[in-house]
Amino acid sequence: MNGFYLINLLVYAAVDAMACLGLSQQFGVAGVTNFGFIIFQAAGGYAAAVLALPHDSANGGFQSYIGGLNLPFPVPWIGAAVVGGLIAVPFTFLVGRRLRGDFAAVGLLVTAVLLNLLVTNYRPLLNGDAGLSLIPTPLHGDNVFSVQSAGYQWSFAVLAIALAVAVYLFVRRITESPYGRSLRAMRDNDVVADSLGKNLLSLRTVMLVTGGAIAGLSGGILVTYITTWSPAAWGYAETVVLFAAVIIGGAGNHLGAILGAILVPVGFEEITRFIPTSNNLPPNLIPSLQWVAIGLLIVVFLWVRPQGILPERKRVIRLPGVGSGLTGAAGAAPAGGANAGWRRDAVAETEGPSPRPADGDRGRIYARSSPRPPSPRGPDLGGGSASPSGRPSSARTPSPREPAPDGSASGSGSASLRSPLASGSGSASLRSPAVGGADGEGGASLRSPSAGAQASEVVLEAVDVVREFGGVRAVAGVSFQVRRGTLTGLIGPNGAGKSTLLAMLAGTLGVTSGKIIYEGRDVTGVPAYRRARLGLVRTFQLASEFKRLTVMENLLSAVRGNRGDTFRGSLLGKRYWGADETAAIARAEAILERFGLEQFANHYAGELSGGQRRLVEIMRALMTEPTALLLDEPMAGVHPNLARRIGNELVALCADGMTILMVEHELAIMDEFCDPVVVMAEGAVLAEGTMEQLRRRSEVVEAYLVG
Amino acid sequence: MSAELALHGLPLRAEKVTAGYGGDPVIRDITVSADPGEVVSLVGPNGSGKSTLLKSLVGVVRLSSGTVRVGDRDLTNSAPEEVARAAVGYVPQVDDVFSPLTVRENLEMGGYLLRRAQVAERIERVLAIFPRLGGMLGRSAGKLSGGERKMLAMGRVLMLDPGLFLLDEPTANLAPIVANALLTEHVRQLATSGAAVLIVEQRARAVLAISDRSYVLGGGEVRMAGTPAELSARPDFIESFLGAGRTIR
Amino acid sequence: MTIFLSSLGFGLVTASVLAIAAVGFTLQFGVTDVLNLAYGAIMIAGAFVAYVVNQAGLSVWLGLVVAVIVCSLGSVLLNSGVYTPFQRRGTSPITMVIVSLGMTLIIEFGVQALAGGTAVSYTMSQGKTFHAGGLTLSVVQVVVIALSLLVMIGVHGLLRYTRLGKAMRATAANKSLARNCGIRTGQVITVTWALTGALCGLAGVVFAMDSGSFDATATDLFLVLILAAVFLGGPGQAYGAMLGAVIIGVATEVSAAYITADYKYVVAFVALLIMLGVRPTGLIGART
Repeated sequence: MNGFYLINLLVYAAVDAMACLGLSQQFGVAGVTNFGFIIFQAAGGYAAAVLALPHDSANGGFQSYIGGLNLPFPVPWIGAAVVGGLIAVPFTFLVGRRLRGDFAAVGLLVTAVLLNLLVTNYRPLLNGDAGLSLIPTPLHGDNVFSVQSAGYQWSFAVLAIALAVAVYLFVRRITESPYGRSLRAMRDNDVVADSLGKNLLSLRTVMLVTGGAIAGLSGGILVTYITTWSPAAWGYAETVVLFAAVIIGGAGNHLGAILGAILVPVGFEEITRFIPTSNNLPPNLIPSLQWVAIGLLIVVFLWVRPQGILPERKRVIRLPGVGSGLTGAAGAAPAGGANAGWRRDAVAETEGPSPRPADGDRGRIYARSSPRPPSPRGPDLGGGSASPSGRPSSARTPSPREPAPDGSASGSGSASLRSPLASGSGSASLRSPAVGGADGEGGASLRSPSAGAQASEVVLEAVDVVREFGGVRAVAGVSFQVRRGTLTGLIGPNGAGKSTLLAMLAGTLGVTSGKIIYEGRDVTGVPAYRRARLGLVRTFQLASEFKRLTVMENLLSAVRGNRGDTFRGSLLGKRYWGADETAAIARAEAILERFGLEQFANHYAGELSGGQRRLVEIMRALMTEPTALLLDEPMAGVHPNLARRIGNELVALCADGMTILMVEHELAIMDEFCDPVVVMAEGAVLAEGTMEQLRRRSEVVEAYLVG
Repeated sequence: MSAELALHGLPLRAEKVTAGYGGDPVIRDITVSADPGEVVSLVGPNGSGKSTLLKSLVGVVRLSSGTVRVGDRDLTNSAPEEVARAAVGYVPQVDDVFSPLTVRENLEMGGYLLRRAQVAERIERVLAIFPRLGGMLGRSAGKLSGGERKMLAMGRVLMLDPGLFLLDEPTANLAPIVANALLTEHVRQLATSGAAVLIVEQRARAVLAISDRSYVLGGGEVRMAGTPAELSARPDFIESFLGAGRTIR
Repeated sequence: MTIFLSSLGFGLVTASVLAIAAVGFTLQFGVTDVLNLAYGAIMIAGAFVAYVVNQAGLSVWLGLVVAVIVCSLGSVLLNSGVYTPFQRRGTSPITMVIVSLGMTLIIEFGVQALAGGTAVSYTMSQGKTFHAGGLTLSVVQVVVIALSLLVMIGVHGLLRYTRLGKAMRATAANKSLARNCGIRTGQVITVTWALTGALCGLAGVVFAMDSGSFDATATDLFLVLILAAVFLGGPGQAYGAMLGAVIIGVATEVSAAYITADYKYVVAFVALLIMLGVRPTGLIGART
């Protein structure tokens, strides 16, 4: 094996590795299936060529092309990347829309076929079928280097490899950032990612453009090495080869992409060199069989090992505080302090002053650890504690050691340690759910009774809301209020309009008439994702976890405002977004502990039981720091023990000032946790009260029996 | 419904049926039966497993344990098409017609297993039962109203002269008058004609009025069973709907 | 005007070939739910089967019959051996498309490995030509148009008036309900593969006759026309595919006459992209 052969191999490997990395980023990480990927490599190749070539009149007119700028190295390579990225922009209209993924892929494939045909047939553009040749190699004009020298060739190879490594570091940086997590969330379930506020069009556009730029750069390097470029080099089937490489290496694993590049495009080309040639064989036989083999590899690998040789690896996030006991945990916590759990804080408070006053509210589940504009969240539920304006003076729920602004809770030792009786209410419906034992706070989270809730302000209100589907009134004029700090139940027979109402409250469905008031503001015309940003968040009836993200990642994916959750932020690196991430992890951990799922933090969400997956969804919704949470049958299909635990935690959240509206079929759940309960039947509100009261009302009984 | 309809009824015996969608079972150890000439209803709150039970009887949902016998045949975990061939007529709650096909073609699909001459004859019979469909044979099923659509779905299963009808909330989304008419005129008549009928209903009161026996499901189990009179007399019957005095599930 | 008429003649022939192919493709997708991109590769395999028969000294029309049978059986095998196992596993639609692309390479280049890379033609007489005004058609072209019309009438009759055709439509519309009617949908799907595979083989041979000479990769571009016709009519819609085929076939040939033949596919391409971007359910397709 001579040196030039080895150099050849290295350059090809570097170029193919780059292309595969770009494709792996699009297909494996972001789930954008780009069957036109080769177009971008081709565009980069032509761009580099016409930037480096002199004007076409200079070479005697044997080839014609546009451009011919005769620009020095490294402009052609940079230009290749830029053109590769720019040419991706028009394709976003295919992948950004809600078009079936396979239809969009067909569109891209057809585009690749057609562009190849156009370039082949239109000679003035890029010399047509014959393609471009005599493309200058880098620094060819200098007298310093002899292009044929081994030193030059080796330098070229090393540079190409260095750039491939740079591309690897680039895509890894994106993938391993919070932004990369958003991309993977989109890959797993784009509709849910959308509902969490991810901008799908933007994510896909960035993926097409960066993937295009990487492909373009690889094309630029390739053409300035081989000095020719023609349509035959970039048939649609070349994309299939790259897909084969990524699938075999392992989609979503960038090292797998490099391995695939070495095995498939490079390895295949080389192995066939060693097949003895014989004059008896038809001339086209070996190349044809190569293609057949690649087709076989794709089908066989997708069957036998769809995850590839190097599967996407699991992103394990070590929890800072798992395993530490509750008592005295605050004192024993590492200095980083980001692990301050919700419960531990409360415990620490009852035992004495916390050594880390600054962390007081950090561990609270729905308090932001990064600066944010004041949110209109009520301070607590204590008797008559709501400020008259409906806008409490404190920006967030007071931490245990901060006295509540109106002072009502001072002296009780903890803001959440409130006796409902203190409000002066003697309601018969007062119940004490079994929260205390579960969360270690003693009787601290006693739910505020309905009488107390009457006093608290209205968070969410439907005013005469109507929804018609093709003339049928699914919701026929509903007016009701949800008060701060209540866990309000919404029940009714099938077809009563509960889910429809919930969807209208969340904004996923528009109203036919009527108004939705949230925090004193008319949000009827505000779209769902903006309502979510205002703190009005819903969950869905169907399972919607991101299956190939861990439970922890599922939770983190819902965090808004993480500095690493933008393209730019991801490139700035962990130093830029690490603090946000640490804070988010601490918050996620607190929620996981609260719901008893911390030991599953690093399990793939897709591997959990049905009930646990429902829990992941609730926890993910909590990560968005909602003011009001709308739950659509959160306990359907959940094991009773787990359902009870969920119920208890929801009650505790409400005691801390959150407002929850929950649709649920199982009325025993309403008995145990919800107050008040709203009954709907035939699109209208029938009654409201505690479950006990409702059960005695004949119209409710009738509604359930008549259906 | 015309009196000429005479169906050869097939008894249903489902024993200790446990089934679900992969995870925890949705229904556990349910035993139900229906005899020829009988309307047997399944009532109970939402999410109690009524529809899942029907689906497990017709092969749409797999049983993890238990047996299903219809007549003298064991249909446990048979494919849906084999259940249909055993003269079991199943009307699902949603997606109950072929929307792009015309009304006539829907009926023809209902009679897929019949000889050609028989199909025309049976369509005439269905039209005698549901005269309303007669005027719209060429219309595509997706354009029917809710009531017409349900008539078509019932007519479709009638094509095969089933000995056992499994009806999943046939009155869902129908106006009360239409719903009552469907139950009293048509569903009851199926049993009178000789067939066994197992019907899931949300409208408990209305369906009890036409039932011979009834099961109350809750939390995936049979909570109580008996004749409508027996059930109505029980003080805990109403409460079983409103979930009092129970823990979760 | 003469240019228009003569290009219209070409357009009619292209539309005829395209209609056979597109109706097969769209039925395959509608009933079986597989977007089988290997369809073009199977077409060309059929064309080469007829070529082998033709080379043996037999009539190409006999070759056509053999090709139809081979492609029909091959499609059934492709489904039962590859697509159905993947579908049973719950493979996503996008992965199914990748599998079908893999099968495209296997079939297309398998043919090339056997047949060599050079273009071949059938040994056949084009027959005398008919002139009607400016419209000029050879006997073979007339036969192709007639065959296509027969196929369209046949498909129409099948879907509207036969038990099998209605069962196919019922399966496409609501597979679960079809099974509740006692329809063995597994068998219906197998028959659909046999039938659409036969249409694919027929389309392959008449495509080869129409283009004169062909090699193993000749249908790469024709697949673009098929996809354009299918998406224009709405995927899964047989009548839509017929309409789409006529529009695309005539539009490509007429545009070829007025612009230049090299770019005739651009019309189809633009039509396809517009349909994908604006109305993926097709011109007459309903929302699914």
